[in-house]
Amino acid sequence: MVEKFREDSLDLEEYISHNIKSSKPKGLLKCVQCGMCTSVCPAAQHSNYNPRSMVECVLEGDTAVIEDEDIWYCFYCYTCHSICPADNSPCEVNQVLRQIAVDKGIADDHLIPFLGFGDSFLNHGIGGIPENFFPEMKEDIGDDWWDFKTHLDDVRNHLGLDPVFPSEEAIVEVSTILKSCGFEDRINKIRNHHKDED
Amino acid sequence: MKNVPDKNILLFKSCLVSVEYPGIESSTKYVFDKIGVDYHVDRAQTCCTGLGHYSDVFDQFSTTVNGARHFALANKLNRPNMVMMCATCYAINKKVANILNNNEEVRDEVNQVFDDCGYDWMKFNKGDLDSRENIFHIIDIFYSKRKEIAKNIKYDFSDFNIATHHGCHYCKVHYGDTIEGIRNPHIIDDVVNACGVETIGWYDFKRTTCGSGFSQRFVHKKHSLTVTLDKLKSLKENKTNILIHLCPNCHVQFDRYQTYVGDKIGEEFNIVHLNIAQFLALAMGADPYDVVGIQTHTVPVEPILKDLKPLSKDNKDEIIEKVSYKVDLDESEDFNMEADTVKVEVNETN
Repeated sequence: MVEKFREDSLDLEEYISHNIKSSKPKGLLKCVQCGMCTSVCPAAQHSNYNPRSMVECVLEGDTAVIEDEDIWYCFYCYTCHSICPADNSPCEVNQVLRQIAVDKGIADDHLIPFLGFGDSFLNHGIGGIPENFFPEMKEDIGDDWWDFKTHLDDVRNHLGLDPVFPSEEAIVEVSTILKSCGFEDRINKIRNHHKDED
Repeated sequence: MKNVPDKNILLFKSCLVSVEYPGIESSTKYVFDKIGVDYHVDRAQTCCTGLGHYSDVFDQFSTTVNGARHFALANKLNRPNMVMMCATCYAINKKVANILNNNEEVRDEVNQVFDDCGYDWMKFNKGDLDSRENIFHIIDIFYSKRKEIAKNIKYDFSDFNIATHHGCHYCKVHYGDTIEGIRNPHIIDDVVNACGVETIGWYDFKRTTCGSGFSQRFVHKKHSLTVTLDKLKSLKENKTNILIHLCPNCHVQFDRYQTYVGDKIGEEFNIVHLNIAQFLALAMGADPYDVVGIQTHTVPVEPILKDLKPLSKDNKDEIIEKVSYKVDLDESEDFNMEADTVKVEVNETN
């Protein structure tokens, strides 16, 4: 699981099949390139993303697919996963490819906007939409939404619900285990690497 | 039908329900109380990591460590039946349970993290919590309680055109566990039927994603909303008044962005968006502002409420009888023979 992808070899397919994310380890090699995944894929319909050709690259050991920008258009909707006649999951193949790109340090631009998810989790024990997206959302959705967001605690109280954040003890626990398993280092590495590049 | 629990439930809080549509949580509690479901919400619960996970920020190992802590919590509270209000929490937690039960190497590494931190109580032993036996979505609970739902209905929604949107991470990720189909998902339709309402059923793009795509809405907005638009156009062609959801992320995509998308193309959609728990609570007579939380919605729900009529006693008796017949048929052994055969085959995948 902790083994990193070896760039100098053609073990892309093997690496993906045995990755912790792969729930269908035997499916990838069974792919017959029928194209069902691409036929049902909403991203393929509206962008250059093509799950069939992505899987073809993986099976051919073509590591250039890791750097392909098109893979970042997948919706993670799992439609391909639910319908593949060979029991493959192009959606999970995509997720592993993106993780390889993250590990290689070539996906910083894709992750930087979302690092707030990690910070929020480490500091408050809850996810939620990162604040850096709020100004654009406020503009798109309107002032009523923003007004609600600023009065969230009052609304929750009115509905008889507990505060949004978990107990202090729970936040300490989750923060401790996420630091210990390397998650904090992972997001700091992305942030620092990105700063160095600038 | 698979065995769906109604007690020892840990109702799992969702970040998007909590901060965008908290009325989904209060409505779920309201409905659970009415239909006799024993549940508990706990402040030691954090979050599933889903939004960060599917934005590629969380790696699967970190998500698994976090999930294992929740499984230990559920067992510690003697509430091993975890029930989700969000499709993402549902898929994330099921996957974590499968990994912990089936991948010894990862399980040992996760337990090593807990050892290092001095949190012995969080350690996971194979079989502590099972994806299929212990992890459910509120829609599963509602479906299994259709008779009780029918008995508690006070308002008549049958004058509205109602469509359903089944979140992808409910019906497409762990599709072997999904009740009532994935090619034409209709578990929400069946629950709405228990209120004496026929939905519009199948429509073009019914199975299609909401378009949020986790990161897509934020970094490829046009790409994301084009997919949403496909669905909205189909719903409009079917004269939909209300779209019923089971996932707060889909709910955000449609409710928050419907007017924005409409303005871009000069079209009005006028579709109200409700979570299935909110719909049931309203049908059972819950207060729209004190329980259902419609004040947090972007598309106003009020136009629907002003046309709502109380259900007559005769109509209610008829609904109870019909629902009872339908549920008994669904649960009869003869009717389910084929479905059980299929279940054996899908058991092989995790």
